[in-house]
Amino acid sequence: MLEVRNVTVDFVGLRAVDHVSFAAEKGQIVGLIGPNGAGKTTLFNVVSGLIRPTSGSVVFEGQDLSRLGPADRNRKGIGRTFQVVKPFGGLTVLDNVVVGALTRGQGLVEARQTARATLQRLRLDRFADTIAHSLPLALRKRLEVARALATGPKLMLLDEMMGGLNPTEVNETLSLIQELNAEGLTFLVIEHNMSAIMRIAEKVLVLNQGAVLVEGPPAVVTRDEQVISVYLGEPIESA
Amino acid sequence: MQLVLQIVANGLLIGGLYALLAVGLTLIFGVLRVVNFAHAEFMMLGMYGAYWLWSIYGLDPYVSVFLITPVVFLLGVAVDRLVVQRSIGKPDVTVVFATLGLSILLQNAALTLWRADIRSVSTFATGSVFVVGGVRLSVAMTVSFAAALLFALGLWFFLTRTMYGKAIQAVAQNRRAAALMGIDVKRVYLFTYSVAVAAAGAMGVLVAPIFTIFPRVGQTHIVTIFVIVVLGGLGSVPGAVVAALLVGIIRAGAGFLIGTAWGELAYFAVFLLVLIVRPQGFFGRRGAEVYGG
Amino acid sequence: MRISDASPISPAGARIAAAAALVLLLCVPLVVRDIYRLDLGITVLIWASLATAWNISGGFAGGLSLGHAAFFGVGAYTSTLLFLRLGITPWIGIFAGAVLAAMLGALLGVITFRLKGPFFVLATLAFGIVVHIINVNWRGLTRGAAGLLLPFRGGPQNMLFLNLWAYWYTGLGLLVLTVGVSMGIERSRLGYYLVALREDEDAARSLGVRVVRSKVIAAAVSAALAACAGSVYAAFIQYIDPDSTTQFELSVQIALVAIVGGMGTTFGPVLGAAIVIPLGEMLRARLGGGAALVVYGFLLMVIVLTAPNGAIAGVRLLVRRLRRLIDSRRKADA
Ligand SMILES: Nc1ncnc2c1ncn2[C@@H]1O[C@H](COP(=O)(O)OP(=O)(O)OP(=O)(O)O)[C@@H](O)[C@H]1O
Ligand SMILES: [Mg+2]
Repeated sequence: MLEVRNVTVDFVGLRAVDHVSFAAEKGQIVGLIGPNGAGKTTLFNVVSGLIRPTSGSVVFEGQDLSRLGPADRNRKGIGRTFQVVKPFGGLTVLDNVVVGALTRGQGLVEARQTARATLQRLRLDRFADTIAHSLPLALRKRLEVARALATGPKLMLLDEMMGGLNPTEVNETLSLIQELNAEGLTFLVIEHNMSAIMRIAEKVLVLNQGAVLVEGPPAVVTRDEQVISVYLGEPIESA
Repeated sequence: MQLVLQIVANGLLIGGLYALLAVGLTLIFGVLRVVNFAHAEFMMLGMYGAYWLWSIYGLDPYVSVFLITPVVFLLGVAVDRLVVQRSIGKPDVTVVFATLGLSILLQNAALTLWRADIRSVSTFATGSVFVVGGVRLSVAMTVSFAAALLFALGLWFFLTRTMYGKAIQAVAQNRRAAALMGIDVKRVYLFTYSVAVAAAGAMGVLVAPIFTIFPRVGQTHIVTIFVIVVLGGLGSVPGAVVAALLVGIIRAGAGFLIGTAWGELAYFAVFLLVLIVRPQGFFGRRGAEVYGG
Repeated sequence: MRISDASPISPAGARIAAAAALVLLLCVPLVVRDIYRLDLGITVLIWASLATAWNISGGFAGGLSLGHAAFFGVGAYTSTLLFLRLGITPWIGIFAGAVLAAMLGALLGVITFRLKGPFFVLATLAFGIVVHIINVNWRGLTRGAAGLLLPFRGGPQNMLFLNLWAYWYTGLGLLVLTVGVSMGIERSRLGYYLVALREDEDAARSLGVRVVRSKVIAAAVSAALAACAGSVYAAFIQYIDPDSTTQFELSVQIALVAIVGGMGTTFGPVLGAAIVIPLGEMLRARLGGGAALVVYGFLLMVIVLTAPNGAIAGVRLLVRRLRRLIDSRRKADA
């Protein structure tokens, strides 16, 4: 479904992503891990079209996306959240989600229904009329997901959704992801919470200094010597 | 050939004057991320200062510049405290319209206090020229040109070679990181703003013998200064100097070739073009126009 | 970039209040007989329309333009020149001006959509100045600083009236048009997109909002409406010159009116005109032009520093308090 081909991103004096290639199949949950500054978010920015790679390309459902901007990529079915949340602060929570529903071609009335349904699903409906910037961080993160879901994506990019959540909230988030996945949504998930990744991901990609260090099933990746030395520090027991 | 030299010389001199304003404006933007719409008003105040001290006490502007510049500096301190710092970190409207409001206020305060009359200061420097290699140079223009270059050089040295200068640069690069490093960011803002507007004031005094003085004189220059600062890359001191000299020469040349009005149009067109094609200017940090605003 | 806390959907109460206000405004010429006051009222209507036009790109989309006088001027000159040169009535000329301005606005939108904050402001400022310089120097077309006088030919069919009340209704029609368009946009898909782009462009794009298209449409509509205001102004004053139509100060005042009233809301700019224009007149009469502008400058500074959401935010707060008060009374009664 998604193919990242040999993508490199250079910033001034820094290579943030270094010849990265990987693929995600339809219906998969792919985990993306790596130390701070490994280039994970930058890779998301490339896939979602916010930055153009220095070289390499992104192919989605057989189509080369290189010429498409973020808006068109979203309309093709790529939704994303932001690690540093970006709510439309001055709008209500509902209106935030309405924006997402509108871009998939729904009229205002229909978009509002979609938005309400989405809020309900994420149990944000109590906050529908709250101004987004007054929402606590954990809920703002959930709003990121709601907004992106409302656009009706086929592939969802989640950037550190679980950071700062308590165990119950993490569990909720995980079961939501699995539920949506069961309905056919493909996921690419950046996460520092290893045990969480282990529970849902079919495949894990470890990024280090911009390059893919290891790729494989979580159980294999977590036992990899290199991964342990650069990232994990000590082996993690599978949950 | 002689004519070309003369035009280039005139252009360079006027460009030098612009540089003195542009360097300050660009510095304020680089450090405070504020476009100081009121910048040329401080030049206007410097001119009036020179005029009154000359007409009442007979003080030559080359003397009174040492009195007026510190006063404008203090005015800058007050304005920074009362207006500019309160706008920092606020939405764009606040940042833009706070100094724009200040500019309207200062211009019209001058108009109310001193009326619209056109005034002038005439000293030994007013009409005198000297000739180098057949090129006639105005004494007053040359003096202010020299002062401008001296200021730019001094500033450059200060920013790159001294501890406090480096602190200022750190703030320009990343105010949060600078604050974490223990730099008093607010002090840096205050200092930067006041020095920059004092330079504008000094320039007003220095050109008083050759320019006519009226309340809206700043207005006639500020847009040219914006053009220069954007061409040089908002925030870049060397960029501002080079662009100022360039615009001076283009203005002198275009004014001669196609008339002042159309010459002006020409460089505004260039300005728009640069904003569109290369908004970071020729020396500016790439991406400043997207992320730094 | 957060500018106002206004959701794109204004409360139903505001719409009812607007309808009531419209009825009152329709009655004004029946009540106000004083020529001076009616004249001022018409000026307020034109400024309210102009600020409303500015607000569509400046407030909803967050593109603080300092070049909108250019569009006002294009409207004023297009309808006037078509009338003078070709005898075409301003009733048609107003549309020609709007179309021309829309094209210019779209062009400006295309070249500036990428620019942020001060860079956008400076680009629009330069654009406005270019138009002004052309206006002053293209004497063959505009007669430059000498200006254009509209001869009183034909009467109502040429938007020229003997009675001030007729101008009042023309101005009111203009206001209904601009506010109507503004309300329509606010409640539409485009309105959502513009506000989303203003609040966070990257997030909006990632949700499928097309930047160029949305911003260019907003810029074109905004320019077209400003041009309509220009045509009505020309027919009302019957004399236009560069200073009264395309000058930089005018661009500042357009933005000022919208900001004082409350940008990013439909009725803020209207409220702004109702405050700023009469205040300006009063100050000019009491203190003289220069001192009036000193107060203007001061006001602008204080408002953006202390109340960037403008007067409408205060009104909303008041309404909310009143409502709560009434509610609690009712409960107490029950
Ligand atoms: N716009 C940019 N300009 C310059 N450098 C950047 C930019 N964005 C990211 N970088 C740099 O690129 C590198 C990769 O950053 P990225 O945000 O992709 O890391 P990450 O893996 O998401 O890290 P984290 O776990 O901390 O979120 C970092 O060194 C970062 O400083
Ligand atoms: Mg990251």
